[in-house]
Amino acid sequence: MSIAEPDGRQDAPAPKARRFARMDRFGGNKFLVFGLFVVALSIFLAAFGATISPYDPIEATGDISVPPPPLVEWPNLFYLALSGQLEQPPHWFGTDQSGLDVFSRVISAPRADMSIALGGALISLFLGTFLGLIAGFYRNWATELMMRVSDVLQAFPVFITAMILVALAGRETGNLVLALVLVYTPIFIRLTRAEVMSQSARGYVQAAWAVGNGGFKIAVKHVLPNSLVPSLVQLSVTVGFAIILTAGLSFVGAGVRPPTPEWGIMISVGATQLILGEWWPSIFPGLAITITVFGYAVVGHAIEQKFREA
Amino acid sequence: MSAVRTEEADSGAPILEAQGLTVRFQGEDGAETLAVDGFSLTIRPGEFVGIMGEPGCGKSTAAIALMGLVRPPGRIAAGSVHFLGRELLTLADGELAAIRGRDIGLIVQNPRTSLHPMLSVGNQISRVYRAHNKVSKKEAWQHAIDMLRMVGMNDPERRVKAHAHELSSGMTQRVLIAMAMSSRPKLLIADEPTSGLDVTIQAQFLDQMWETANQTGSAVLLVTQDLGIIANYCDRVLIMEQGRIIEEAPVRQFFQAPEQDYSRRILATQRQVGGDTSGEAHHGELTDAETIIRVAGLYKQFPIRGSDQKVHAVDDVSFDIRHGEALGLVGESGSGKTTVGRCLVRLEEPTAGEILFHDAALGSIRRAAFVPYRKAIQIVFQDPFDSMNPRWTVEKVLTEPLDLHTDLTAEEKRARVVELLEMTGLDAALVSDQPRQLSAGQQQRVVIARAIATNPEFIVLDEPTSALSPETRVEIIQLLMQLSRRLGFAYLFISHDLTTVKVICHRVIVMYLGQIVEVGDKDAVFGEPRHPYSKALLASHLFPDISDRRVDRAERVTLEGEIPSPVSLPQGCYLYGRCPSQKAACAAMPQQLSAMPDGREIRCWRVTEGDFSATDQD
Repeated sequence: MSIAEPDGRQDAPAPKARRFARMDRFGGNKFLVFGLFVVALSIFLAAFGATISPYDPIEATGDISVPPPPLVEWPNLFYLALSGQLEQPPHWFGTDQSGLDVFSRVISAPRADMSIALGGALISLFLGTFLGLIAGFYRNWATELMMRVSDVLQAFPVFITAMILVALAGRETGNLVLALVLVYTPIFIRLTRAEVMSQSARGYVQAAWAVGNGGFKIAVKHVLPNSLVPSLVQLSVTVGFAIILTAGLSFVGAGVRPPTPEWGIMISVGATQLILGEWWPSIFPGLAITITVFGYAVVGHAIEQKFREA
Repeated sequence: MSAVRTEEADSGAPILEAQGLTVRFQGEDGAETLAVDGFSLTIRPGEFVGIMGEPGCGKSTAAIALMGLVRPPGRIAAGSVHFLGRELLTLADGELAAIRGRDIGLIVQNPRTSLHPMLSVGNQISRVYRAHNKVSKKEAWQHAIDMLRMVGMNDPERRVKAHAHELSSGMTQRVLIAMAMSSRPKLLIADEPTSGLDVTIQAQFLDQMWETANQTGSAVLLVTQDLGIIANYCDRVLIMEQGRIIEEAPVRQFFQAPEQDYSRRILATQRQVGGDTSGEAHHGELTDAETIIRVAGLYKQFPIRGSDQKVHAVDDVSFDIRHGEALGLVGESGSGKTTVGRCLVRLEEPTAGEILFHDAALGSIRRAAFVPYRKAIQIVFQDPFDSMNPRWTVEKVLTEPLDLHTDLTAEEKRARVVELLEMTGLDAALVSDQPRQLSAGQQQRVVIARAIATNPEFIVLDEPTSALSPETRVEIIQLLMQLSRRLGFAYLFISHDLTTVKVICHRVIVMYLGQIVEVGDKDAVFGEPRHPYSKALLASHLFPDISDRRVDRAERVTLEGEIPSPVSLPQGCYLYGRCPSQKAACAAMPQQLSAMPDGREIRCWRVTEGDFSATDQD
């Protein structure tokens, strides 16, 4: 809109083929419903997973290495379980070599995984957006120094940095969140700073100065709300990565302590049995991670689309 | 200039005859829209035909469809195009492609994106030439040099090796004409070729196209929105509305007696603006009006990163603005006029110099201390959409200055917002709309409403109409004049649109390369520009006036080349090298702005010392 719109562009509708536009909209919606469901479920299970699980996730049942029932029997088992005709609930996902019910552990794990991943990602978002706003709006030696520090933090491989941090600080949940924050905040700083810098050059920011706002007011009232989109999109991606990182750290023994139900630990414990053909203790938590990460990614994509249109 | 032309079409068989050309676009919902409806046109050799109309009226689509081209979702649904006796629309793709570029040349707008960034311009011109002519690479290269020379590029042997990014926009346009003309096409189609160019460059370009067409005996079809271009260059004009030609007339007849309502309306709006102030008598009141702004020795330099050099944007600028005065500030892009405006509202820190507002020295106070003065000094920017927070509603935009500078209650603020909307001719129902829901004209009205919200004494108007369509432009200008009369604010009107400046300003400042070269009353400067730059600027401007067409003038005053870089300033007169009346002495003689007995100020020793009248009568 910067220069008078040449009419050539207006008489020709966007050259996007109609068929593709429609497919995209349709497919996009279907995925989005799925994504939102996954996000809602992950948060619900983080809150109530341990409460609704059929078995105590950290107490052995005595049934060692029971395979999950074949899929065809699930409807019948489900009916029997509901009508109370079974002595004990079925082991939907089987049990591991210590006799822990895999299903109960898979649905209880979000409490650890999601609180660490979501907590780390959200704190990174707030901290990174705030610092990025300052770094982009006030350009001076102090903010330059901040950018260099965040460059250094970003230069290390995420996983190694997190591992070292946890090793130094101890395997507490708080320290894991802290490690995630240190690893992911620079991303949000950089994203927000870049957007703030481009927004600050826009006419409405100039106009805000001319109207008589102070710098801080302009930063918070005008620039910040218009600079959030990249970070919001990044948030859901970061939650996905944070889940993988949390599970990964646990997998190598640098994360949550066993026997806390946690997907990474479950995979790691189950992995030793894979060679014996016991696939279920590690496949199910693996699937849980995959689906959750995918769900968050879809939601992020949808947020991006939404704001692009606006 | 060489060929003698009459305004009426030269006799001879038509080059191109289009009959009932119809273009349809299929929308996303499957509905078809008619972009061009029954377009018929005959072009004879040597004709210069203009197509005009509102944005979206289908003029570009029609022009391009003449070559058998349509943008993807569209298709040519009906019609015929006879070109040199052949039917174009039923030709095989290969044959059609051979005609395009060889017999029909196309110049599109936005020259930068039309050149390949990684090939030299010579390479690109010779490729086009070789696509249509069996010549060796070497011959084609030589031909490219000849073409560049023909379009007035100086030093073509060197320029031919240049890449797009090494050329200025004016030169890029020339390359595009050279490319389009390389096979000496019989017909040249130009789609708004000068939008976004400065007037001096625009005049150079159109002169060149006019002359090249004359030399090669080809015809030109020019798509434009600018009445000035139509009046000054075209023999015949077509007016389009909603895909249809509503009027076709020789250019003189069109300007004297337009047939259609739409044509009458666009011509009338032009005259309306003209008539509105010519009889205006507030000149007299102003002579003893109090001076509210006094700018003295203003300098602004921008450091270049990683270099000791500086961009000298504003170089010793001084002027006064009186209460209620409308002061015009004109010049090419790069003349520093916008920077002057931005320094006045303290969006830039002046490097040196003082700005007095009444008795307060605003140039030297801290930026924070300037805030209280923002109530009295406001600015309106060029792009209205960009100057409002895209997430805010109109009400929020208009309440912001009230929040900052007044103690009104929420109720009073709401009332004031409604009042402001009404003053700017907007419906009060728009308060809850966001900027993107408004038309460009409405957006600019809201921005103006924001600027007058605190009853300022002085407003900087930084090209407030250049992003608007011609009709909206007239409405906004009328609004501004009406508001300044009603509220009594003074304004600095920064613009390269001389037609507008001529209409609304009392006095005019002409700037060139950061310096003021001429100051004077509007009538004096427009009536008899004295500085060579002002002369060239005015001569280059295309006023929509068919009694003084540029192509009919005996001598078309123009500036050579382009504005020099403001980084390494010339030693002597800044205009040396471009000036049509320069002398050897000018090269080393820095020029001073001197007051003339009649109150004008001019920066040219030949004028101020009377050297001009003595020797320049040859």
